Amino acid sequence: MADSAIAFSAKPNFRSEAVGFLTDATLCIGCKACEVACKQWNDLPADNLGPMTGMSYDNTIALGAETWRHVAFIERTADESAIGSPVTWLMLSDVCKHCVNAACMEACPTGAIIRTEFDSVYIQPDICNGCGYCIPACPFGVPQLSAAGAAQKCTMCYDRLRGGLEPACAKACPTESIRFGFVEELYASGVARIAQLRERDVDARLYGDRMLGGTGAIGGLNALFVLNDAPETFNLPAAPDLPQRIVPRAFAATAAAALVLCAAAIAAMQERS
Amino acid sequence: MNERRHHAGDMSQSNRRRSAAPTSPASPYGLPVIRRAHWGWLVVVYFFLGGLSGLSAVVAALASLTRGSAASETVRAGRYLSLAALIPCPLLLILDLRKPARFLNMLRVIKLRSPMSLGVWGLILFSLVSGLGVARQAASDGFLGAGRLAAVTRRLPEQTLAIVTIPLGLFLAGYTGVLLAATAVPLWAKRGLLLGPLFLSSALSGSAAAIAAALAVRRPSHGEVTALARLERIATLAEAALLWGWLTRLGATAKPLMSGGTGRAVRHGAAGAGLALPLVLNATATITPAHWRRSLTLIASALTLLGGFLLRYAIVFGGNRSADDPAAAFALTRAEPRR
Ligand code: SF4
Ligand code: SF4
Repeated sequence: MADSAIAFSAKPNFRSEAVGFLTDATLCIGCKACEVACKQWNDLPADNLGPMTGMSYDNTIALGAETWRHVAFIERTADESAIGSPVTWLMLSDVCKHCVNAACMEACPTGAIIRTEFDSVYIQPDICNGCGYCIPACPFGVPQLSAAGAAQKCTMCYDRLRGGLEPACAKACPTESIRFGFVEELYASGVARIAQLRERDVDARLYGDRMLGGTGAIGGLNALFVLNDAPETFNLPAAPDLPQRIVPRAFAATAAAALVLCAAAIAAMQERS
Repeated sequence: MNERRHHAGDMSQSNRRRSAAPTSPASPYGLPVIRRAHWGWLVVVYFFLGGLSGLSAVVAALASLTRGSAASETVRAGRYLSLAALIPCPLLLILDLRKPARFLNMLRVIKLRSPMSLGVWGLILFSLVSGLGVARQAASDGFLGAGRLAAVTRRLPEQTLAIVTIPLGLFLAGYTGVLLAATAVPLWAKRGLLLGPLFLSSALSGSAAAIAAALAVRRPSHGEVTALARLERIATLAEAALLWGWLTRLGATAKPLMSGGTGRAVRHGAAGAGLALPLVLNATATITPAHWRRSLTLIASALTLLGGFLLRYAIVFGGNRSADDPAAAFALTRAEPRR
């Protein structure tokens, strides 16, 4: 069963020099070493933790301007209605997907968001003028405006990559739940991992892959995920698509409406006897 | 950050309330899947004034091209109104940036798939062309004196300016709908093809109403006022049809426009005050004695403009509510083709 499912999944067109992440939910122990390593290397302020959220051990809640890795804790109970029934935990370190066709980058009116030589998606902090368009454009809710006013998100540790080092999160992860490497190789090992997990009857799937309905015009993710439940359970959209796909058609529809309205306006303003 | 903590508080409470009942497996703790824009009142006002400026200029240009001097009052009022609505626009856009001093970074690039990038360039081009049109109008109205400047300005090619103004004005009023459609926000993206046409028709009804009001103050029975009333009626009917079609085709995603403050803005504001009442008032105006006509036209125009403003308020703020709703986001991103 596992084999046939994988055979149907066409391989996305990754660029050959692309590097990225493979984040495996089945290996995550929720230690948050990635969150801390990211903050330390990128000099990001600590999250202003107030009262505990009550959402399991998740007190960072979401990716944000100063939280570029976020470890989600999801508690699954066998019987929702029974108080005190045993709980199983799902844990996943979420991150910017460094989309092959990135919605944030297409939206950005200043050209602040660029694709690097590593095929990662990078926001130039000195260019961004805080228009905020990338924030609702991202299908995964990743970038946020910082208090200083610029959009911020994971840089895939661009400075470390330039220096030949792997990103801080992957370096810190003690279980290899976060792996860094060439996306083609990560994809292959992700597919192999899915097959292995399915043999053990784990409901495993590779996120960012067409098995799940794919990523539409996004064309694949450079940050792939091994999930052991439906994507929605991890707050990930099952079949995201590139919002800018609509732009040519939406302008065409608007132009058509403009023609009709102009014709109606000319007719309405003619003299009547 | 504060907002996020605040939100988390809300979510944990609702989660606690629900904890005994079976919950949907989707979206743990009901957290948003995508993130809302920071856009608020500045953007609402910009959408409103940009539409008004764009289509007032278009109405003036169409009137001058097809009616010539027979519609000179419409042309004059349309051009001055367009200028008045245009002046605050760049300011509103700049103030909405979190780093206003970097506004000029918008002019580093032109990106054909970024409606915001196109919009900034469109606004600049429109300002230049319609600015020349206003200057020419001012010269023939004698506002530029009788010197060299006025003489030169009067030689500007009126027809060419009008022809170029039309597509630029339409673009300024309609691109904002495309800008919203090209996001992951369910309310804006789901039936996004209809947003540009909806904004256009609403801008047309508002512009016709505003120009009609300007003319009616002095001569409520004038033929040009009746012509503008006809135009307003047609645009209002188109807007009503588009709004109804959009809302019904949105299905459950229309929730933010059915409830709360944004819901009231749609029902009482955009539909009630902005569409239904002006249609009735303008119809009444045609059969009432002349001395009532002015008040009826003025009230109808004010209501049309108010409705157009509240429509944009509901769409912008409703979109922000929709971005917070994980169910709406998941409904948009199921494994079927989305539009
Ligand atoms: S996940 Fe969002 S922020 Fe990251 S590259 Fe894709 S669109 Fe941009
Ligand atoms: S907020 Fe900054 S990075 Fe985001 S779209 Fe605007 S200019 Fe680009």
